[in-house]
Amino acid sequence: MDSQTCSVKALHDRLGQMLNDGVLTHPRCRQRATEIFDLVHDVSQGRGGHGHMDSILDLAQILADEGFTPVCRDLGEHVTSFVGQHREEFLSHIRTHTCPTGRCPMLTPAPCQMACPAGIDIPSYVTLVGQGKYEEAISIIRRDNPFPWICGLVCTHPCEFMCVRGRMDKPISIMDLKGFAAERAMSARSYKNPEPFPANGRKVCVIGAGPGGLTAAYYLALRGYGVTVIESLPVAGGMMMVGIPRYRLPREVIDREVAMIEALGVEIRLNTRLGRDVTIDSLRSEGFEAFLLAIGAHGSYKLMLPGEDDFKGVIPAVSFLRKVSLGDHRRPGSRVAVVGGGNVAIDAARTCLRLGCDEVSILYRRSHDQMPAHHEEVVEAEEEGVRFSFLTIPKQIRGEDGRVTGIVCVRAELSQPDESGRRRPVPVEGSEHVIGVDVIIPAIGQEVQNKGLEPLEEVGWTRRNTIRVNTVTMQTDQEGVFAVGDAVTGPATVVEAIAGGKKAAYAIHRHFEGIAQPTLPRVPVRRGRLEHFDVPASLKTDLDRPMMDRLSNERRRITFQQVHLGLSEHQAHEESKRCLRCDICIRCGKCVEICRDKMGIEALQLGYMDFDNPGPTDLRITAERCIACGACATNCPTGAMEMNERDGYRELCLCGTVLNRLQLEYCEACGAVLGPARYHDFIFKRLQDISPASNGRRLCLECARHQSGGQHAEINPPPR
Amino acid sequence: MSKYYLFQDQKKCIGCMACVAACKSRQNLPRGPFPSLVVTVGPRLVSNLPRTAYTFMPCFHCENPWCVAACPTGAMQPRTEDGVVTVNPDLCVGCKTCISACPWGAPQWNPETGKAVKCDYCYDRVEAGLKPACVTVCPTECLYFGTPDEIPEVRRERYARARAQEL
Repeated sequence: MDSQTCSVKALHDRLGQMLNDGVLTHPRCRQRATEIFDLVHDVSQGRGGHGHMDSILDLAQILADEGFTPVCRDLGEHVTSFVGQHREEFLSHIRTHTCPTGRCPMLTPAPCQMACPAGIDIPSYVTLVGQGKYEEAISIIRRDNPFPWICGLVCTHPCEFMCVRGRMDKPISIMDLKGFAAERAMSARSYKNPEPFPANGRKVCVIGAGPGGLTAAYYLALRGYGVTVIESLPVAGGMMMVGIPRYRLPREVIDREVAMIEALGVEIRLNTRLGRDVTIDSLRSEGFEAFLLAIGAHGSYKLMLPGEDDFKGVIPAVSFLRKVSLGDHRRPGSRVAVVGGGNVAIDAARTCLRLGCDEVSILYRRSHDQMPAHHEEVVEAEEEGVRFSFLTIPKQIRGEDGRVTGIVCVRAELSQPDESGRRRPVPVEGSEHVIGVDVIIPAIGQEVQNKGLEPLEEVGWTRRNTIRVNTVTMQTDQEGVFAVGDAVTGPATVVEAIAGGKKAAYAIHRHFEGIAQPTLPRVPVRRGRLEHFDVPASLKTDLDRPMMDRLSNERRRITFQQVHLGLSEHQAHEESKRCLRCDICIRCGKCVEICRDKMGIEALQLGYMDFDNPGPTDLRITAERCIACGACATNCPTGAMEMNERDGYRELCLCGTVLNRLQLEYCEACGAVLGPARYHDFIFKRLQDISPASNGRRLCLECARHQSGGQHAEINPPPR
Repeated sequence: MSKYYLFQDQKKCIGCMACVAACKSRQNLPRGPFPSLVVTVGPRLVSNLPRTAYTFMPCFHCENPWCVAACPTGAMQPRTEDGVVTVNPDLCVGCKTCISACPWGAPQWNPETGKAVKCDYCYDRVEAGLKPACVTVCPTECLYFGTPDEIPEVRRERYARARAQEL
């Protein structure tokens, strides 16, 4: 995966090498070293328990103390200091079953899980969805993300960009499967909270009921903390509620998932603004010992154009979306220009259409390909009738009688790529033109509003006017004060806020317990290694990413009904069958190499395994060429490639994909399994030169030996 | 053909399997593989008495070994210096073709390493001036190891003695 070294693997290899080389001459010393090796091996295989670290250190100490030979003593001391130095990494292997460097094959996480900011164990829940176990799928997701339904609808799904299946054809619909599982579990009333720890009597105050704050509240509540969330708006959900329009994320979805968190005893005080209704001091006197700032980025950047403040009709996108979300469905005007190219611009434009604006256009200074907005949303906006005006730079806002009447723009051209490779828009001289509009919605960025935080004097701010934190622990410069979400990252995604909230909850717990904070970034946790299910190679290849039903365009343009109508159960099950289970197969390519270079058979064409230069993949070719020798399965470091014999056939499976199935032949003497005919043909062809005729009877190893043993036996010795 | 010969005097063999155990332990093998094996034949009635024969079955180290021809990776090779057929674990990928090709069942499967193992006449011991492990541990001294001209002619002598007594 990358060139980082894993200290567990390094110690494992070193011990293995020493035992192999025979430098440990003293038998007892060798015995101890073998025991240490076995323990380190357990850790590197994901079988390590809580006692492993102590046992390794104890044994190393004994090895050093006994000191039978200088080599033994040195080894003992080396292990003690090495494990001490890399304690965090060893513990992380034991706790998370994950080796982020990919050096420990059994612990190499799937690329999708690594790409997920929240580190959800994606292959496991995708498999559970395929088995129809929605409740279990949800409980696995909620161990890393308390909002599976919300994220199943609006996540930016970076996982799908890393999906290995995408190198073969199209990525798995990871996000839609999550949304599907959450919907089904909620509908079946099997969407449940885990059992929280008993209350520990300590109180934490979270400021801001957005995804970051509520995630921290959820994990802290599970740990037994008393959590109160202060929210200035009359609704909980933060930007999910007042930033994301209802046609993408229905309010009920947020309400239901927030209610799940409230059910854990989290108190949410709405309409309570820090600095107005409560202060840090008043909260301290209520008994709160730690604070989590999750105030979001609800301020808007201004266009900085002449006329911006002079006329009515200039509405920043964030305020506009908030107003609409809170129920004001009056149309802002008839002709709208949205300035910006991000997701917020698209949301604002599509919302305007739904409010009845006659003409909505998005003005963006660069070109289509450079828009930061999600491609899918741009397409949907185009479908609904939003107009795009690319390479257009606003210059001035014009108005009459206090109202906006138009926006003066110039056209631009893209420059040649500069040193950073970016092409900048350069205004074209004399291209000034006026676009007649009565509403202008700037959507060019958001900023953190720090009002109310003044009493937290020690909290440091970055140059971008966000709260400065240690990104591993989300701790601010002030003791006992943590911060997450857009307030830290600047405007970002729901899932990034959730990731921060989880980190903060973990760090706040450590803060209370007085445990040292981690120094390495959090590693995603593998929640298990679920059995795969069998899918024939042809089906695995043929299945296509499902097309989700959408609301008709006519209705989309006039209502706030959800556009994406969700997957059907059949679609979801089929989709989960497409998953390549990269939590099991780490795509080391050993199987392909052995089959091609060593055996000379070339039955495995798995081009997707090469990350940098993906080649063609054909899962069906294996059945044509494979002789079922099993060398690929024998050498697979993770057991992803398996060869099994059942019902008279030998089957080769890669994570459940049945690549080949050949009928078995049996020993003529004892009936033991011999192997398929194609395998024997392969051997026979190789033997042709030295043994033109086959020896006739097909016997197993045991019988052949016994037969020839009998032939050589002097059972009839000559009499004495 | 290897330049060595391993001869078993079946008359002396009591089937104690010490050779088999020594072979496994020298190669540090798990359950399953037996690079050399004592095959029990019988008991059969010989002159109305039940008789059992024990045949020691290591590898014969053939002149033109089928296992070598069958091996696609070149892991199975006769040694140039003495013709002993050995398997190189670094090259072996565990396709088991040698095992299926050998008519005597000499190459064996080591499930722990996922590679083939076989009798190599303990060539490292032989090079060090020792006998193979099986020969060393045999309590009845029924196994002889050496070049063909060093092998005692027990069978011929025994036959001659028997004939002489008849006279």
